[in-house]
Formats: sequence, C-alpha cells, structure tokens
Amino acid sequence: MRDKLTPKNIIFFSIVGFFPLLMYAVDYINLLLSYRDIFLPTPSGDYILYTVVQVGLYTLLAVGLNIVCGFTGLLDLGYVGFYLVGGYTAGLLMVRLGFSYWMVLPLAVLNGALWGLLRGAPTLRLTGDYFAIVTFGFAELLYRIVKNEIWLIGDINGFVKNIPHITFFGIKLNQNWHHYYHILILLALVIFVTYRLQHSRVGRAWVAIREDEQAAASMGINVSRYKSLAFAVSAAIGALGGAFLAPFSSIISARTFEFWESILILCMVILGGKGSIKGSVIGAIILGSLSEILREILSNFPQFGGARYLIFGIILVLLMRYRPDGLIFKKA
Amino acid sequence: MEQFSQQLINALVLGGIYALIAVGYTMVYGIIELINFAHGEIFMFGAYFAFTLVTVFNLPFWVALPLSMLLCAGIGMLMDLVAYRPLRNAARLSALITAIGVSIGLQNLARIIWGARQRPFPSESLPAFLRQGIPPSEPLSAFSLTETAIALPGGAFLPYRDLCIILLALALMIALNRLVSLTKIGKAMRACAQNRVAANLMGINTNRVIVITFAIGSALGAVAGVMVGIKEIIEPTMGYYKGVAAFAAAVLGGIGNITGAMVGGLLIGFAEVFGAGYIPYGYGSGYRVAIAYIVMIAVIIIRPSGLFGKSTATRA
Repeated sequence: MRDKLTPKNIIFFSIVGFFPLLMYAVDYINLLLSYRDIFLPTPSGDYILYTVVQVGLYTLLAVGLNIVCGFTGLLDLGYVGFYLVGGYTAGLLMVRLGFSYWMVLPLAVLNGALWGLLRGAPTLRLTGDYFAIVTFGFAELLYRIVKNEIWLIGDINGFVKNIPHITFFGIKLNQNWHHYYHILILLALVIFVTYRLQHSRVGRAWVAIREDEQAAASMGINVSRYKSLAFAVSAAIGALGGAFLAPFSSIISARTFEFWESILILCMVILGGKGSIKGSVIGAIILGSLSEILREILSNFPQFGGARYLIFGIILVLLMRYRPDGLIFKKA
Repeated sequence: MEQFSQQLINALVLGGIYALIAVGYTMVYGIIELINFAHGEIFMFGAYFAFTLVTVFNLPFWVALPLSMLLCAGIGMLMDLVAYRPLRNAARLSALITAIGVSIGLQNLARIIWGARQRPFPSESLPAFLRQGIPPSEPLSAFSLTETAIALPGGAFLPYRDLCIILLALALMIALNRLVSLTKIGKAMRACAQNRVAANLMGINTNRVIVITFAIGSALGAVAGVMVGIKEIIEPTMGYYKGVAAFAAAVLGGIGNITGAMVGGLLIGFAEVFGAGYIPYGYGSGYRVAIAYIVMIAVIIIRPSGLFGKSTATRA
C-alpha cells in the first residue's frame, strides 16, 4: 500500500474519485432512454450512491472496531455503544443547541473517546468472554438509557428528528455526492491514522499485548496505558461514525443502535480477518453491500424479514468453522 | 402489604423461570467453558414448539410440554454436534462468536417460521387451573379470582398457575440436583467439569457427556419457555431478553456452579420484580431488563467468581 503512481493505483483512485459522476451519468442515460420508452432494469445511480455512503459508514466502524478486536485481541460486543454516543452527541447538540456540524464533530469524537476510557477503566483486568459480556452489557445499558430518558432525548424510543443539514460556508451539503466525498475524506483520515498507529510503537505494543499480555508487561510495555489508548481511539472512531450518521440520515432512533448492529460490524471485521485494516475494509464492503442488497430484495417479502440476520448468523458460524482467521489474513 | 406479597409471588415465579434457564448456561460453561449465547433461543423455541403442538396438532398440554422438551433437547444436541464440537480445540473466542452466530440464526429462523408478532399461549388449550385468572389490564377483584387462585391471608392471591410454575421449577431443580450428585452420568459430568482431559483418560466418553449436558439444559430451558408462554407472551426476542437475565443469574451464582445458578436465578427474579415495582416514576419498568445487566456487570467487575464459584486465575 505504498503510495506509488502505478497505473493500477491511478485507475483505482479515479474510480473512487469520480464515482458520483459515474452514477449520475447512469441516471442521465436512463433519463435520456426513458424519453424513447426504453427502461433499463438498473437501480437509480443516486440510490446506489446512497448505499455506497452507508457502506462507507460501516467501513469506518469496522476499521474502528478492528483496533480493539484485531490489534489488542479483545472481543468487543458493544461497539455500537460508541456509535450511539457519537450519534446522540451530534444530534442533540445540533437540534437543541443549534451547534454547527463542524463544531459538533470534534466534540462527538472527544465524547466518544471519553466513554471509551470510562468503559475501559473497569474492564482493564478482564479478558476473553468476561470482557465480551461487559462490553455487551454496557452497550445495552446505553441503548436502554436513550430509549427511556425522555427528558434527555426529547422523544420516545430515542427519536431525534429534524437534524439540520451540514452547511459549509453557507452551502448546504445535502446531496448524496456531498455525503460520498464527506465519508470518503473521513474514511481516508481514519485509515491513515489507524495505519500509522499500527506501524508505530503503539501498534506493536497492542499486538504484543494480544499475543501474550504477561510477556508484554515483562518487556516493559505499560499494558493498562496501551489498552486504554486502544479503547479510546476505537471509541472515538465509532463516535465519529455516529456524528456523521446524525446529519446524514437527519433522524436517529434507538433502533439504529441495537445489539445486532454490533454483531454485523463484528462480522465484517472477522470476515476480512482480524488485525488487518485492509481486511476490515474489504469485509465491510462485502457484508455492507450484501446487507443492503438483501434488505432491498427482502423488502418484497415481509414475512422473511429475519432472513437477513439469519444469513449473517450462518456466515459467522461457517467462518469460525472453516476460516477462523478471515478470508484475507496476513499475520501482523 | 398486599402489593408486597403479590410481588413476592411474582418474584418467585420469575426467579424459578430464570433459575431453570440459568442452569442450562452454567452446566455448559462448567464443562466446556463456553458461554452458550444460543441457550436463550432454545428457551424461545421451547415456547414456540409447545405453542405449535397445541394449536396446529391439537395435542393436549401435558403431551405438548414433554414433546417440546424432547424437541429442544434435540436442537441442543444438534447445535453441539454441528457448531461447537468442531471448535472444541480452537480458540475460545471462536466458540463464543459461533455461539452468537447460532443465536442470531435461530432467533431469525423463529421470526421467519412464526412471524415477528407477539402471541399469547392459547388459554383454551390449557388445563382449567392453569388458565389466566386475571387479565393483566383489569384490577384485582375477588370475584374473578376465586376459581383460579388461592386467596392468601393479607389480601394477596396465589394463582394456581403460578403455584404450578413454582412447584414444577422446584421439582425439576431437585431432580437435576439428584441426577448430578447420584447417577453415573452425573458423576461423569462432574468429572468432566473438573478436568476434561483427565476424565477422558479415565475412560469417560466426554463428547457424549457434553451432548447429554446440552440436552438436559435445553430440556429445562424448554420448560421455562412454556412457563413464560403461559404467564406472559411468546415472541422471537423473548429468548434474547430472558436469556441475558438468566445469564446474569448464572454469573451472579458463580458460573459453572449449579446451585449458584438456582440461587442467582431467584435473586435476579427478586431484583427485577421489586426493582420494577418499587423504583418510582416509571423508571423501574423502563429499566426492568437493565437491572439484570447492571447486576451482571457489577458481579463481573467486583467479584468475577460470583457468590458460590471458586475463584480462578483467568477467564480467558
């Protein structure tokens, strides 16, 4: 992944960079053809763009979760809790206090990191399934709180409605291509930070803790400090995703942050291979698109509403059985 | 006082149900050190199986209950054979992730088969004394209660249904206790829990013991599911909520310890009912489920070995 200007990279980056243009071109061609009464069975480019933004959001979350699950090797079943913290920090500040998105973004990230440290402090000693259970309980508690504290949220079931659009020097950023470039920039930033961390002293310390905590401690690594750092960075990325979600979907509810969402993100990390950024990105792209396609197909069959998660469950079981290290795995 | 004794009865019923589910978690954890996340789903399937046997196949309730236990035991065994046995020597987190996958899969399978909506257990299929005495919405009146409940001194009522649930839970607990401490398979289970490799070397077929453990736990879970079905409501997510509460009970009692799970189940039942009943401003009811989470987190952080468990160095 060294930044060389090879033809392959140029093609890759131009597709990523001009993707919205491509999608709007599809729409334009469809429009032209429809004048001649030709209807191609393609979904609208704008809809695809919207889906791609959602997949990008999942990718962001998967990269964040990978820090705790992949690098430090602790199973986090409550990652959605930080997503929730970011979402509600951004949503409430923007709706109630009229903060601008650009002010809310760093606040949400800081708040997420704070919650990460808060959750991390009592769980530093825990490993394995006890850590997993505490993280699960933590996310469920947060979910209960936003569902029940009507004075705080302002509506039942954690609804925050009419979250204003992002404005940038007076320009409203409410088109899907705006969101596309926005999430792309956030994602690039997050991947850059995570990549640099992974290949630094910090990342090596995390992996050392994963492989053998006692050995790492005896080699002079401050286990508590590095674990706390991993919790904080991972939580901050989750909150960043939440802060993006709030103005992007303009409405958030407690249902967005159910336990199954944590599992979906975990599934992405595991599919790609724990401990590899590339793996998390690819896992998120595969499962995120699969999730959206299934949602689209299954919306015609309401009685099979559960089939989407049934398939994720089967994927998890099969992965653990046959490829416990993920599809793409490189020993770090 | 009247409210208190009524709550006491509710707490005993809920506690008995939790204890039955918690035993399934704790027995599996005791032997293969796996948090069987999918156990709550087995419990949910128990309720649905009984429901289907009664409504679709028109079987009498007393036939449907043991059949549902058998079916659930089958699912539990199948789950072990298909999902967990191949991972017996793999990393422990792999097994946990598999359990979560099985749990999501089963829950959504139920949603596909039976639909997402809540269903009451058809009361006309129940024996007369198990029928619901009072619709929960109506105020207590002695008139509607005398046929289905025992009037206790102090103004509270003990419905026969609740009495049956408590007695059945108690009987099953005693039976399980006898099974584990007196029979040959119980001895094998205890040996496996102490040291699986050594048990295997002594000629115990550990895989068979594990499958039987899954079957027993699942059958008890099925009974609990039917109990919740006739007392509350049947829905695909019931296994998730009640399952977590029961898991909290197992942790509270010291995971791996069967007596601990029974006591923990009762305690969680009491905490939930009295928490929901006595915490003011509606906080209690909104956070009813959360009480179990709080207890679970507090126990894991403060005293990971629970009330009765032996303290071990790591829970990796």
